[in-house]
Amino acid sequence: MSRFVFWKPRVEEEVDQELAFHLEMKTREYMSKGLSREAARQEAVRRFGNVRQVSEECRELGARRDRAMAWTEWLHEVGQDAQFALRHLVKNAGFAAIAIVTLAIGIGATTAIFSVVNAVVLRPLPFPAPDRVLLASETWRDMRNSVSVGNYSDWKAQTKSFSRFGAISWSSFNLSEGEAPERALGARATWDYFSVFGVNPEIGRVFSAEEDQPGRSQVVVLSHRLWVRRFGAQPTVLHRSILLNSERYEIIGVMPAAFDLTAGTEEFWVPAAFTPAQLALHDEHFLTVYGRLASGVDRALAQSDLKAIARRLELQYPLDDKERSVVLTPMAEQFVGSAREQLLVLLGAVSFVMLIGCANVANLLLARGAIRAKELAIRASLGAGRGRIVRQLLTETLVLTGLALGLGLVLAYLGIRALIVAAGAAGVPRLEQAGIDLPTLLFALGATLLCTLMAGLLPALRTAAGNLQSTLREGGRGSSSAGQRDLLRRGLVMSEVALALVLLVGAGLLIRTSIHLRKVDPGFDPTGVLTARVTLPKSEYPDVARVTATFERILDALRHAPGVTEAALSSQVPLGREGGSNGLVPEGRPLDPSSVIVSQSRIVTPGYLAAMKIPLIVGRDFTDADRQSGVRVMIVSSTLAQKAWPGENAIGKRVACCEGTPTEPVWKEVIGVAGAVRWGGVDRDAAPEFYLPVQQAPAVAWEWLQRSMTLVARGTKDPALLTPVIRAAVRSINPALPLYDVRGMDERLSLALAQSRLNTVLLSLLGAIGLLLAAVGIYGVIAYFVARRTQEIGVRMALGASTGDVLRLVVGQSLRPVLLGILVGGAGALAVTRLLASQLHGVRPTDPITFGVGALALVGVALLASLLPARRATLVDATMAMRGD
Amino acid sequence: MSKTTADLLQGTLSVLILKTLTWGPRHGYAIARMIEDTTDDTLLIEEGSLYPALYRMERRGWIEAEWGTSELNRKAKFYRLTSAGRAQLRAEIAQWRRFSVAVEKVLATA
Repeated sequence: MSRFVFWKPRVEEEVDQELAFHLEMKTREYMSKGLSREAARQEAVRRFGNVRQVSEECRELGARRDRAMAWTEWLHEVGQDAQFALRHLVKNAGFAAIAIVTLAIGIGATTAIFSVVNAVVLRPLPFPAPDRVLLASETWRDMRNSVSVGNYSDWKAQTKSFSRFGAISWSSFNLSEGEAPERALGARATWDYFSVFGVNPEIGRVFSAEEDQPGRSQVVVLSHRLWVRRFGAQPTVLHRSILLNSERYEIIGVMPAAFDLTAGTEEFWVPAAFTPAQLALHDEHFLTVYGRLASGVDRALAQSDLKAIARRLELQYPLDDKERSVVLTPMAEQFVGSAREQLLVLLGAVSFVMLIGCANVANLLLARGAIRAKELAIRASLGAGRGRIVRQLLTETLVLTGLALGLGLVLAYLGIRALIVAAGAAGVPRLEQAGIDLPTLLFALGATLLCTLMAGLLPALRTAAGNLQSTLREGGRGSSSAGQRDLLRRGLVMSEVALALVLLVGAGLLIRTSIHLRKVDPGFDPTGVLTARVTLPKSEYPDVARVTATFERILDALRHAPGVTEAALSSQVPLGREGGSNGLVPEGRPLDPSSVIVSQSRIVTPGYLAAMKIPLIVGRDFTDADRQSGVRVMIVSSTLAQKAWPGENAIGKRVACCEGTPTEPVWKEVIGVAGAVRWGGVDRDAAPEFYLPVQQAPAVAWEWLQRSMTLVARGTKDPALLTPVIRAAVRSINPALPLYDVRGMDERLSLALAQSRLNTVLLSLLGAIGLLLAAVGIYGVIAYFVARRTQEIGVRMALGASTGDVLRLVVGQSLRPVLLGILVGGAGALAVTRLLASQLHGVRPTDPITFGVGALALVGVALLASLLPARRATLVDATMAMRGD
Repeated sequence: MSKTTADLLQGTLSVLILKTLTWGPRHGYAIARMIEDTTDDTLLIEEGSLYPALYRMERRGWIEAEWGTSELNRKAKFYRLTSAGRAQLRAEIAQWRRFSVAVEKVLATA
């Protein structure tokens, strides 16, 4: 191992010899003073002290010295290599700039996406043992839904799998405290909800079990966000009271910032305080239930435990709990939702771009290696071993990638900022927490090392492996390893093409999806429509008759507002946040859960269909005459009509729903069939839907709706211009009513697609970068082939080959690895595009058109990239070429 | 005047070794002899600490060693001053001077 040129003994020997020499000299000194050899020796040893101990100490020190020296020498060599590499790069600034920018784009983009993936998907939720927290949902047939209070309390009473089991439901409240009423999202939570997450309040306390009971529940816990936003983070806020829906609540605690998981969550909690009537109710499903697994219990065990309980409940409540079961989901999974797979697809795509970049740089390095064959041969002949040369070449690559890392981090920072802004509308949870943090830095470092190896190792080994002797003899052209090197180049081109094709196909599928979605008819006309929600507080409007009367007055004011051509109210609008699922049974089928059709109910005023421009296919719209006293009527969507009475005329059919009991159903008569509305977004199918006139709304419906309606106003101009008009109209009825969720329907449509649009744009961008990089790579390799074969081409032309022959030769040369790459990439894309399936609409993951266009684009680019060098080849002067260099 | 061992004062040994080596490369025994001879045997070098000190100084890069042949035709390890060692010597001499002037002042007033 030792490469010291001069003789140097091992440390032990060194110390022994040195001390022996000293003692010998000392002995001689004493002998010269007249002592006998024996006595002199003894005196020398005595003077010296403990020879063994000193020898030990010296050995130890010597070993340390040798390690330090080896380390210093190594650093020195690396420093030399780096210095040499820097000089080399400065001399070849063009090459260096291209390589650094290519790598920086790859590293920067990958790091930016990783940072987002880390913030959104990988980082654990900020409370103890987050993987022990599960979401418990009811299932009905294949659908997953919220939990009824009755089921929740029965589960809770019977399960032994959870150490904590809490429930929450969200609703918006009119919040006022002093002046300035506002609409805020709050939640009703059971007293043990907080302990499921194991998070303690920042100040004060959370509610007690006693406070979680009807009549004693006038306490509220604030979120950190609301505390800061509304109360300036003052600790004195405790024991103050605020008005929620005009009722007084005492502030008893504030939860820490970490409990605000996302920007849009609830801002305060009040006790759920279920009434005995609610606790008995197994039919209304609005709770979200979380549990923390008891120690020693895993998810599967808890799942089977709850399932068994659900089966018992099914027997106990044959009507309400028929076909109902339970499913447990890890909270993290539910929390991140669909963002997870989209982000992972993006991370995959962006690392493909990085790999293409690496392949390009590897190509450049190979070319440099060929040019430098002579220089390296000289270094080798001067005593540099092969390992030393590989190390030097790798150091050069490391300097490149290191500089690229610096630039890449800047790009990543900008990229993350841009992503947070661009994706803000898409509502990706925790996205705003993405940044250049420690895991991101480590990732970037890892990516850089990977790039160094990917781009540098093969060219370095290849270059150093060249038979250096023959290189020197041949004047540095280095032809003996050229054959292998060409193979490597072709391999690189092939991989680039394969990676680029996968990217292109992925991007192409998403682009086709968005083209398809643009053409999809949502079922209503969003242009010029403004929507806004209003809630009438229960304390002020306890009487249902007063609620409907007030909404009618608001509608009247709205209709007469300037600029409003049509106006209506609806309990839900398409793409709104409110739910509204309601089962119904068509007349003639058994009145039990087996014949229930799950549908969406909308309680609307006459004119709603017209205001939304939802076509009325047959029958009539509601009129003001459809009141409590008249026949109960409903309008069904064509999807529902198709499902309930396939092939029949729906008009005049009767339906049981929304009120009454199985023994005493309340029948409603279908008076019209409306066009199907894709109320969940254009990327969803239109699901069954029905409309009820507001005057006939069952009294209990106002409790589900929390006395809220969405105002719909159609004008001829920009809907934003209607905002002040609508505000004024509502204020004229009651100035204390806040207007919230004010949005144009256009905006709702576009927001619903924001995430998929962003994904499409990003993937297309990556596809384009990939294509560009692949083109550059192909160009580089073909140009190199042409340069190497100049002599051969000259000979062929001298022997009568035509320009066409030469073009064919060169282009054919380049197309072979490209076609091979397309085969490999096509197979890869087939395997990978399945991951995109859930994001595709109107196009299959194996869409032959997309695959074909992607492949053609690559072949086209490859042709273009090889045409330039091919042209050059045809201009070769035969005599010049044959003379060689 | 009684005899003193050179490592009575912290760091004194290293400055003496460095100074000795300014006259040319020497092996350990010669260094010890030279110090004792120069001080007319006033300073006796504790041999048990001389060698560890040499190894330590070698690691710090103040001196470097090379094997050669001694006057008795035996293999011996010769130490030589490096440029870092020269700088160290200058620094230590300056420090020593300041120290001894300070001590002198105290003694003069007492």
